[in-house]
Amino acid sequence: MNNNDNLLDFFGDVVRVNLSTGDISRENLPLDAVRRFIGGRGLGAWYLYNEVGPDVDPLGPENKLIFMNGPLVGTLLPAGNKINLTFKSPLSRSYSYSLCGGHWGPELRFAGCTGLIIEGKAESPVYLWIDDGAIELRPAAGLWGKTIPETEKRLRDELGGDELLQIACIGPAGEKLNKMACITAGWYREFGRGGCGAVMGSKNLKAITVRGTGAVRFHDAAGVMELSESITAGLKIHPKILDRRNFGTPELLKSINDNGLLCTRNFSETHFEEGHRLEGPRMREDIVVGDASCFACPVGCGKRSYVKTADGTGILLEGPEFETIALLGTNCGISDWESLMEATRICDAYGMDTMNAGGCVSLAMECFEKGIISLEDTGGIELRFGNGKALVAVLRLMAERKGIGDILAEGIKYASERFKAPELGMHSKGQALAAYDPRGCKGMALTYATSPKGAHHMIATTMGPEIAGGTRLSYENKGALQKEHQLSMCAVDSLGICSTVRGGFGMGDQAKAFSLTTGMELDIDGLKLAAERIINLERMYNARLGFSRKDDTLPKRITHEPVPSGPSAGEVLDLERMLDEYYGCMGWEIDDGLPSRVKLVALGIEDIVKEQDCR
Amino acid sequence: MKEKVLVFEAGKCIGCRICEQWCSLHHFGVAGPALSRITIVRDHPTQIDNGIICHQCADAPCIASCKFGALKREETSGAIIVDLEKCNGCRRCIRACPHGAIRMHPEEKYVLICDLCGGNPQCVRHCPEQAVQYLERGKAERPYRSALVRGLAVRGECDE
Repeated sequence: MNNNDNLLDFFGDVVRVNLSTGDISRENLPLDAVRRFIGGRGLGAWYLYNEVGPDVDPLGPENKLIFMNGPLVGTLLPAGNKINLTFKSPLSRSYSYSLCGGHWGPELRFAGCTGLIIEGKAESPVYLWIDDGAIELRPAAGLWGKTIPETEKRLRDELGGDELLQIACIGPAGEKLNKMACITAGWYREFGRGGCGAVMGSKNLKAITVRGTGAVRFHDAAGVMELSESITAGLKIHPKILDRRNFGTPELLKSINDNGLLCTRNFSETHFEEGHRLEGPRMREDIVVGDASCFACPVGCGKRSYVKTADGTGILLEGPEFETIALLGTNCGISDWESLMEATRICDAYGMDTMNAGGCVSLAMECFEKGIISLEDTGGIELRFGNGKALVAVLRLMAERKGIGDILAEGIKYASERFKAPELGMHSKGQALAAYDPRGCKGMALTYATSPKGAHHMIATTMGPEIAGGTRLSYENKGALQKEHQLSMCAVDSLGICSTVRGGFGMGDQAKAFSLTTGMELDIDGLKLAAERIINLERMYNARLGFSRKDDTLPKRITHEPVPSGPSAGEVLDLERMLDEYYGCMGWEIDDGLPSRVKLVALGIEDIVKEQDCR
Repeated sequence: MKEKVLVFEAGKCIGCRICEQWCSLHHFGVAGPALSRITIVRDHPTQIDNGIICHQCADAPCIASCKFGALKREETSGAIIVDLEKCNGCRRCIRACPHGAIRMHPEEKYVLICDLCGGNPQCVRHCPEQAVQYLERGKAERPYRSALVRGLAVRGECDE
């Protein structure tokens, strides 16, 4: 076999399923694109740019769901489990991608698919059954309307009770085209933000079930084993990783709250006075009953939690994660585990992103407290900050699209405009802000404002070094910091490893892992260059839709309202100054925030981005 | 040295399946759970991860069940060794195994049974949680008994 054959064998095929015609075909992975964009998020960007044009309706049959594994997914390298999904978002109406951990992506790889592209729209509900090389669409009318756990149980029964096959599905939220609907894999791992569940629902596709009995072959198996062992040994003694293991993502909460950047009551404050009740160690003591890991991850940051509810029943689930605790909890003024667990259960069962859901409820709560909406609008719910029962009731309405829930299900931007209070909708490009208030941590302003998918935190998690370095309130060099972190996140998203392990699995080892697994030479500079290509291609996808500097915005509350109290008291945010510096660092034009033709040529992607799409 | 056996504790397993990957890579040079002699099953409703492994039965039912003389015990480690020439994939041993620890090779006509990696089981070596241990047969029950006392073995009952 020549080198290309080896590579194609290593990666596996791309399977293309057209739901309109029922056609299922296999194609080779485009190796030229792999060389330039690595895989995962990178290849997703390449496919979406080439195949989903600017006029495509996000909920129309022309939109595509492009699932793409990175080269390290399904290997034994630590946390090689993150599969990327790229699509045009019905929430932000822009470029979007989402990554899912767990075991579904690796299973797809073992079934011989590195990628899966879903196109068109089925006439009636169907699910896709990938059993190694045997791939078929099956009727799913009986599953329509069922929650995530019910869907998983029924599918497993139908497919012979095999607990080892992996299922990704949508719940009723996705079916009802809820703009914050997610796609859930293995009950508790989601392609979360951007409304991909609604895209799947619009295609009448209920689930994708996968069973793979194949294996991943390596260019240098001994080298991969040695590298895995050394990275794992480092992770086991890394203090930050140990915190993550013990307390999950909620280990973050204390420092985010103590430093005054924790979203509180719809970002009207940045420090939650009851935050101590929700800190990681407190959660471990109060509700955690066990730990859970995604595929090949030695960290195990997943926390299995249990509460006994007032009605005598219990709730057992994996979670809640930090962002869930923040957006559904602190941002709604809520600090009791029972409400939070019930709220999480509703989102998990119906398939809604907890973050956008929390952003919407906190918006409605502020509108209610200010008299902008009334008891009549809420259907009698006392929608005040701190009212856990009201949170649960409204989430149910959102999930079922009833009453005020039907408005909130359209997303935070739509709802805030509908309430005639756009200034209270805490979003960028329609995506709800994550937990970190940029007034208390300046770098996160660039993360939210310049992200191609709206205010998403995992574009660049600069809050870590900003807090550790004591520079959270400074504007100095935040553009450069932003670029560095965007590249680092883009690299792991494209390779298919979880960002959690970056501390002990840095870019040097990542490049080495790519070379050892594929046999293609790559060093740190090459990895950074690929990441920069991807970020620029994503930027150009949005540019083709008309996005530019004018859309890199933050809510007025962040740029004009000083933080009223706490560790960040008095702070506002000067976004324009930060954008100038960041665009400079990225080599983008200052006036419109877009890469020039010269920049695209320098990156080697000028053949992909057509002349007419450029300034 | 006394004969040692594999011991699995569900209460410690977090479902990372690193054991499966090392098992398959060690034996076949490729990474894939279907080629692994150890299998981790996650029961989603109860959120329990449990391991299916060979227990190195003192009087092995798999050997007794084989009509083709394809299975024998390795002298030093006590592991079951499959004769790839004699095994014809009839699957009698799969049914005979009280632990469900035997599987067919996904593509070949022979079964996969744990060979203890020649006395250095890779699953034990690489489990980040020490959920799989390699203990003397006479001491094998100790982790299980301790777990019973700690209540971990009944954790699933909290889900009504």
